[in-house]
Amino acid sequence: MTRALLREPLVHFLIAGAMVFWLLSGRAPDLGERRIVVDKVVVGAMVERFYGSFHRLPTPDETDGMIRDYVADQVYYREALRLGLDKDDEVVIRRMRRKLESVAVADAESAEPSDNALQVLIDKDPARYSEDPRTSFEQIYLGADTPETRARANTELADLRTGKPVPSVPAPLPAKLDGAPASDISGLFGDEFTLALKDQPTGQWQGPIASGLGLHLVKISARAAPIKPSLTTVRQRVTNDWRAAAIARAQADAYKTMLGRYDVKIELPK
Amino acid sequence: MRKAAIAAVLLLGSTTLVTGCHKLTKMVGGETAVNNTAYPERVYWGDTHLHTSNSVDAFGFGNRLGPEEALRFASGEEVTSSTGIKAKLARPLDFLVVSDHAEGLGSTKALYDAPRFMISDPTLLRWFDLMHEGTKGSLQATAEMLDARAHGKLPAGLNDPTKGAARTHKIWNESLATVDSYNQPGKFTAFFGFEYTLMQGGNNLHRNVIFRDGIDRVSQVDPIDPSSELWPDKLWDYMDAYQAKTGGKVLAIPHNSNLSNGLMFMLTDPNGGPITAEYARRRAAHEPVVEITQIKGDSEAHPFLSPNDEFAGYGTAGWDMNNLLNTQPTKPGDYAGSYVREALKRGLLIEQRTGVNPYKFGVIGSTDAHTSLSTADDNNFFGKHAGVEPSAHRATDTFVPGMPVEKVGRMNWQSLASGYAAVWATSNTREAIFDAMMRHEVYGTTGPRMTVRFFGGWDFNAGDLKTDWVKAGYQRGVPMGGTLAPHGPSTPGKGAPSFIVSALKDPVDGNLDRVQVVKGWVDQAGNAHEKVFDVVWSAMDQRKAVGGKVPAVGDTVDVTKATYANTIGAPELSTVWSDPEFNPGQRAFYYVRVLMIPTPTWVDYDMVKYGLKLDPAITLKQQERAYTSAIWYNPV
Repeated sequence: MTRALLREPLVHFLIAGAMVFWLLSGRAPDLGERRIVVDKVVVGAMVERFYGSFHRLPTPDETDGMIRDYVADQVYYREALRLGLDKDDEVVIRRMRRKLESVAVADAESAEPSDNALQVLIDKDPARYSEDPRTSFEQIYLGADTPETRARANTELADLRTGKPVPSVPAPLPAKLDGAPASDISGLFGDEFTLALKDQPTGQWQGPIASGLGLHLVKISARAAPIKPSLTTVRQRVTNDWRAAAIARAQADAYKTMLGRYDVKIELPK
Repeated sequence: MRKAAIAAVLLLGSTTLVTGCHKLTKMVGGETAVNNTAYPERVYWGDTHLHTSNSVDAFGFGNRLGPEEALRFASGEEVTSSTGIKAKLARPLDFLVVSDHAEGLGSTKALYDAPRFMISDPTLLRWFDLMHEGTKGSLQATAEMLDARAHGKLPAGLNDPTKGAARTHKIWNESLATVDSYNQPGKFTAFFGFEYTLMQGGNNLHRNVIFRDGIDRVSQVDPIDPSSELWPDKLWDYMDAYQAKTGGKVLAIPHNSNLSNGLMFMLTDPNGGPITAEYARRRAAHEPVVEITQIKGDSEAHPFLSPNDEFAGYGTAGWDMNNLLNTQPTKPGDYAGSYVREALKRGLLIEQRTGVNPYKFGVIGSTDAHTSLSTADDNNFFGKHAGVEPSAHRATDTFVPGMPVEKVGRMNWQSLASGYAAVWATSNTREAIFDAMMRHEVYGTTGPRMTVRFFGGWDFNAGDLKTDWVKAGYQRGVPMGGTLAPHGPSTPGKGAPSFIVSALKDPVDGNLDRVQVVKGWVDQAGNAHEKVFDVVWSAMDQRKAVGGKVPAVGDTVDVTKATYANTIGAPELSTVWSDPEFNPGQRAFYYVRVLMIPTPTWVDYDMVKYGLKLDPAITLKQQERAYTSAIWYNPV
C-alpha cells in the first residue's frame, strides 16, 4: 500500500516538499515563494498520467490545458495556504498525517535486515524461535472429572502398573503421541494438561491428570528439549518479526521526534 | 520460497486401506521436512474467508490492516485493530486464506490515497471526502458504494477496466509475496486465494477461490472479478485455464447461500431447464466445499424448510428477510435454494435423474470478517467489519452503523461470532489441507473447536469403540465426505449401514448436549425427505426421549454475568449408530450435527463488559454447533 503510494510522482513532489522544508529543517514552507516553474519534469509527469488514462499522448492543446490547470492548481493551492484555509480542514489534516506516516515507515518497509541483526533478534528471545519441547506419551481418557471417575482412576492406575489393560473412554483423541510439540498437546487437551505433563516422571503410568476434557492416565516415554533455533531454519519468521518491529519503531520514533517539538497542553474543564 | 516438498499420500477416496500409521518423510534442501501421516490423525483449524484493507468494502468500513497483520493475527501474534484495540487470539489457527474481493482489489484504498484534484467524478469525490471525514463518513461512503454496486451504478472511475487490471495485478502480487512469507509448512499454512463476488442484483452468489499451489504457479495468473456475469461458469472456465496453464489445482467455496434468495442451490440450470449431467459434474468438480456458517448468518437449515427440527433456527433471524444487499425481500419459495440441507436433498434428486450429484459437497465454517482479524469466539469477537469492532454501542447499532435498518436489512446483534473450518488432513500444508477439502473430509463449527469423527460402513458395531476405532473406520468404512461402498449381496453385515460417531468438546469451551445424525433421502415417488435422529446425548439415563424427543439439556447461563457452567452436558459423546429406517433402494445422505450446551453470545459478553441495557428481543444465549460433511449412499 505505502509502496504503491510512494510510486506516485505527485506524491513524490508533495513528500519531497514536505520533507525538505518541514520535516528535516523544522521550518514551515516559505509562503512568500511566488514563482511557479513548469519544467520538463512537471510536464513529463502530466503526460505520463495522461497516457496512463487514455493510452495515447496528449495533443498540444491538451498539454496546454493541463499546464493551465497545473498553474491554476498551484495558484489556488498556495493562496489557500496563505489564507490558512487548510487549518480547520479535517480532510487536509488527515491526508497530511497519512502521508507523513507513510514517509516515516518507507525505509523500514523496503529495508533488508543483515544476518547479524536477525541473529540478535533470535538471541534476545530464543524461546520464541525454538521448536516447542516435544513429549512422547500414551494416555487413557477416563471421561469427565467427577468424584466417581477420580475414585476409579486410582484403581485403574494400580491395574496399569501391574500390567492389566484399562479401556479408554471412546473419543477422537490419540492414545499415543509421538514427539508431540507442546502447542499440539495444548490444542488437543488444553494448557493445564500440558503444564501438568511437565512434572510427571517418565516410564511409569501416572495420574489422574486433569485436562479441559476430563481426567487422563498418562505414561511418558520420552521428552525432547526444545531445539535451539538456527537462523537457517527460522529466517523467514524472524525476518517477518524484524520488519514488523522496524515499521512499528519507525512510526513511533518519527512521531516522538515531531511531538518533541511541540508543547502540548490539555486543558479540560474541571 | 518453496522449501518443503511433501510426500504424496495415497488416500484413495472411499476405498482407503490403511496399513498402519508409519510416517512418510521426504527431505528437500535439508531445511524443512513435513511428515504426512498415513491417514488424517488430527484436525487442523482455519479460516478460508478473511478480508483485509485490500478489499473494497473492508477499507471503506475503516479497515487499515493489510494481509501481513491478518497473517500475524491468525498465527497467534498480537496486533492492534483498525480502531486501536489490542487483539490476540486465545489459540492460533493452523491455516488462513486471505480472500480479498477480486473486484476492485485495492480500489477504495487507491481512491482514498488519490490526489483529490485528480478526482473528477462527483460521486467519487463525495466518497473521497466522506472517507476522509473519519469512521462515520467512511461507513456512509461504503454503504453508498454497496448500494451503487447493487444497482449497477458504480462510477466508471472505480471500475476502469485498464487501470483496474493494472492495480489488481500489482496489489495481487504484493499480497502473494506477503502471504508466502508467512507460510510455514508443518506449522502454519498461508493459502493464496481471493473472493469472486458474483451477484445478481444483490443476490449473493459469492465464491472463495483457493489455490493448492505455491507462488511460482499462482503468480502466473491474476484474480478475476465477475463484472457482468450472472452465473459461475466464467469462474469455472478461469479455474480450468489456471489448471491447464500451470498444472496446479484450485477449488471454489460458495458462501452465504442464505442471502442468495434461492439462487445458490437451484433445481434447474440458469435458463430454467433441467440440470444436465455435464453441468452437475462441472459444479461438483469445481466446488467440493460449501461454507455453511459465518458471521452473516448460518445456512444449515431453516425452520420453514425443517419444521420438525427444533434446532433449525440457529443464526437465521435477520438474514432470512432479504438478499445480501437488501434489494429484494426473500419469499418463502426462495428458502429451498438457500440452505445447505435442502441442497444436499436436491443433489439426490438431480442425481436420481441424471446420475450425477451437483451438490455433493463438504461443509466448513469461516468468518468472512472484514477486519483482518479472524475471530469466531464469542468472548473475543471483533465483528464483521471495522465499523463494529468492540464498542459500547455495537450491540444496538445496525449492521452498518449510521444507516437505518430499513436500508441495511439487519441489526448488528444478529451477527454471529462464527465460524471456523476443521480439516482432517495428513499434515499442515497447502497440499494436504487442499486435498482433504477435495475429498470433503472437513467440517464446520460456529466457533468452538470440537473434534468430530464420523465413519460410515456396513459392519461397525458397539465393540469397535473398544478398539482402535479410527483405524477401523478408515479400514472398514469411509470418513465424512465419502460415499458408502455399494451395498450388494456380498456386503458384510445385516443390511443397514452403521456409523461410528465420536465428538469431543473444545478443551476450553462448553460441554456437549447431544450428537445428531441428519438423514436425507429420496423415496420411490421421487420426493426428498429429511429426518433428524438424536443418536447420543449427555445423561441418557435421566434424559429419556419422550415421543421421539430428547428433553432439553438444561441451561446454566447467567446472562447478568455472561457465564455458564459445565455442570450439565458431557465432554465427549460417542456411539455406533445404525439407520433403523434404511431402505436399500433409496438414495440417501447422512451428516452429523453436534450441539453444545447453552453459552452466552458475544452480545451478552458486550452487555456485561459495557454495562448495557438491551431489548429483551436480543439473543443473549445460544447452542453452538458443529456440522460434518455428509456420507452418501447410492443404491446399486
